[in-house]
Amino acid sequence: MMVPVRCFTCGNVVGEHWEEFKARSREGDEDPEMVLDELGIDRYCCRRMLVSHKDLVDIVSPYQ
Amino acid sequence: MDEEYDVEFIEREERSAKFLVRGVTPAFANGIRRAMIADVPTLAIDEVRFIENSSVMFDEQIALRLGLVPLSTPPNEFDEDDVVTLSLDVSGPATAYSGDIVSSDEMVQPAEENVPIIDLKDGQRLELEADAVLSTGKDHAKHQGGVSVGYRHLQRVETVGDRGEFEDVDPEIYRGVIQEGDELVDTEEFDHDLTNRYPDQEVAVEDVEHAFVFSVETDGSMSVEELFTRAVESLDARAAELEDAVSL
Repeated sequence: MMVPVRCFTCGNVVGEHWEEFKARSREGDEDPEMVLDELGIDRYCCRRMLVSHKDLVDIVSPYQ
Repeated sequence: MDEEYDVEFIEREERSAKFLVRGVTPAFANGIRRAMIADVPTLAIDEVRFIENSSVMFDEQIALRLGLVPLSTPPNEFDEDDVVTLSLDVSGPATAYSGDIVSSDEMVQPAEENVPIIDLKDGQRLELEADAVLSTGKDHAKHQGGVSVGYRHLQRVETVGDRGEFEDVDPEIYRGVIQEGDELVDTEEFDHDLTNRYPDQEVAVEDVEHAFVFSVETDGSMSVEELFTRAVESLDARAAELEDAVSL
C-alpha cells in the first residue's frame, strides 16, 4: 500500500527515497538504474524494494 | 587482550565506513560484528496510542511503520526502561512524513525526515501519541543500529612472475581491500578483478593474519564510530560479568 520503510532483507531505510524515485523514473523518463545509483541504493535487496513497489492508497481509498 | 589494536579508516562517511582493524582474532572480530547487530541498544517506537485514525491503513500497520523509523539515540543518556513520548498530528489531504513526528525530547529526533508514513485523503486524519523505548536488535530488528555489518580478511597480493604470453586469462575476482607492500587498495579501484591491475603478471593472494576490513553501515540512530565503540563496550561488559560470575 505505502512504500515499505525499510528493506525487508537488510534493514536499510529505503522509504525516504521513494518519492524522488517515483517522480524521476515512473513519472519522469529517467532510467531507474541510474536513479537508484544516484540515490545511493547499492544493494539489490534494497533496489528491489523500490523497483517492485506500487502505491495502492489511491486505489483503495474510495472503498473506505 | 592487552595487545595494541591498530584501526585505519579506508572510507569514512556519516553513516557508512570501511576500516581496517589489526591485531584481533577471527573470534573477536566476529564478536564485534554480532555485537554491532544485536547488542547495541537504540530507541524505537514500541507503543502507539491512537486518538484518531481515519486513514486507509489499520492502526497496527501504522504502528509498525512508525516503529521502523530510526530515531537518533544519544549515547549513555537513556536506560533500558526509559520512555520518550512522541506525537504525530496530520490532517488530509496531505502525507504524514516521519519528519512530522514531534518529540518531547530534543535529543531524540527521527533520523530520516522524508519517510512517508501514510497518505491521507480529503477529510482523513491521523493523530497519535507514541512511546519510544530503548532495546537491542536481539529483541526486534527495529532496534538494530548496524545495517549490513560485515568483515573480510585483508589480503596480501604479491607478484610471483610473468604470465605466459599466449595463456588464456581468467578473471581473478577479489572483493574488499588488498595490501600491496605497505599500501592498501580498495578492489573497487580496479573493478574487483586482479587481472586488470596486473595484466601481465602472475599474482599470489593470501590472507593477512589478524587483519580484518570491516564495512559498517548504520540506520542513522548513531554514527559508525559510536556504534563500533559501543559494540566493543558491550563485549567488554559481558566479559567482565562472566569473570565475576565464575570467580569465587
